[in-house]
Amino acid sequence: MKMSANTADQDNNVPANKNVSLPVSRVRLIMKSSPDVSNINQDALFLTTRATELFVQFLAVSSFNNGAGKQSNTLAYSDLASTAEETDTFHFLTDILPKKILAGDYLKSLEQMQDDEADN
Amino acid sequence: MASSSGNDDDLTIPRAAINKMIKETLPNVRVANDARELVVNCCTEFIHLVSSEANEICNKSEKKTISPEHVINALESLGFGSYITEVKDVLQECKSVALKRRKASSRLENLGIPEEELLRQQQELFAKARQQQAELAQQEWLQMQHAAEQAHMASAAATQQAGSSQDEDDDDDI
Repeated sequence: MKMSANTADQDNNVPANKNVSLPVSRVRLIMKSSPDVSNINQDALFLTTRATELFVQFLAVSSFNNGAGKQSNTLAYSDLASTAEETDTFHFLTDILPKKILAGDYLKSLEQMQDDEADN
Repeated sequence: MASSSGNDDDLTIPRAAINKMIKETLPNVRVANDARELVVNCCTEFIHLVSSEANEICNKSEKKTISPEHVINALESLGFGSYITEVKDVLQECKSVALKRRKASSRLENLGIPEEELLRQQQELFAKARQQQAELAQQEWLQMQHAAEQAHMASAAATQQAGSSQDEDDDDDI
């Protein structure tokens, strides 16, 4: 997917010479689909793309290192969910990465909520 | 993955790009499919997060376009300050690429000739072209005239011959 460094591809889907691997035009589309987002400077777009790459790397490595699958060299959904839960900067992911909790814990928290309501 | 519905929320980074990154970051690790899918969605979430934050910062700065500075500040305030050094490398590359492109285009366009002079030369060329065209048109017109004259003279001569014999006849008739 990477093209040679000599090609100046600004509008192309394939990022050519800016040291990024993710498709810049797709990143732009996603950014613009955010509510109220106005215009984005081209360099700012590349920055965001690079930051997203770093995010993926950090997410993958953190999840793997702290995950249960490390021994067996695997990375599972639960590893990602745990990391999202436990890492402050990844908290924003908990909406889309709900940690699967044990049924017992759920029932306990449910009881807790009912008790709270009874008190009120 | 092409989204034919056009729904903005379906926009994600292509799965292949994510898979490639995961493979490069965690070589030899088996990654579950649902985990990969999640990483794809996390990307989208991250981009939205950064965009919104950068947009807010941009609005406060009364500028209309989100600049690299806004993005960097957004990363800082969201807790991704550790990304900033690497991210700035991209900015440097952007600048050097832009600089190269400006140099290249100015070499082509400039050639040491100021714009007014170029304009003047252009006008001259246009004037010359117009003149040439006018001369050509005139030549053609003259040629046509000449040809017409020749034809006229030829037919006139022919008519004269025919006419003189006819005159005799006329006299007789009277």
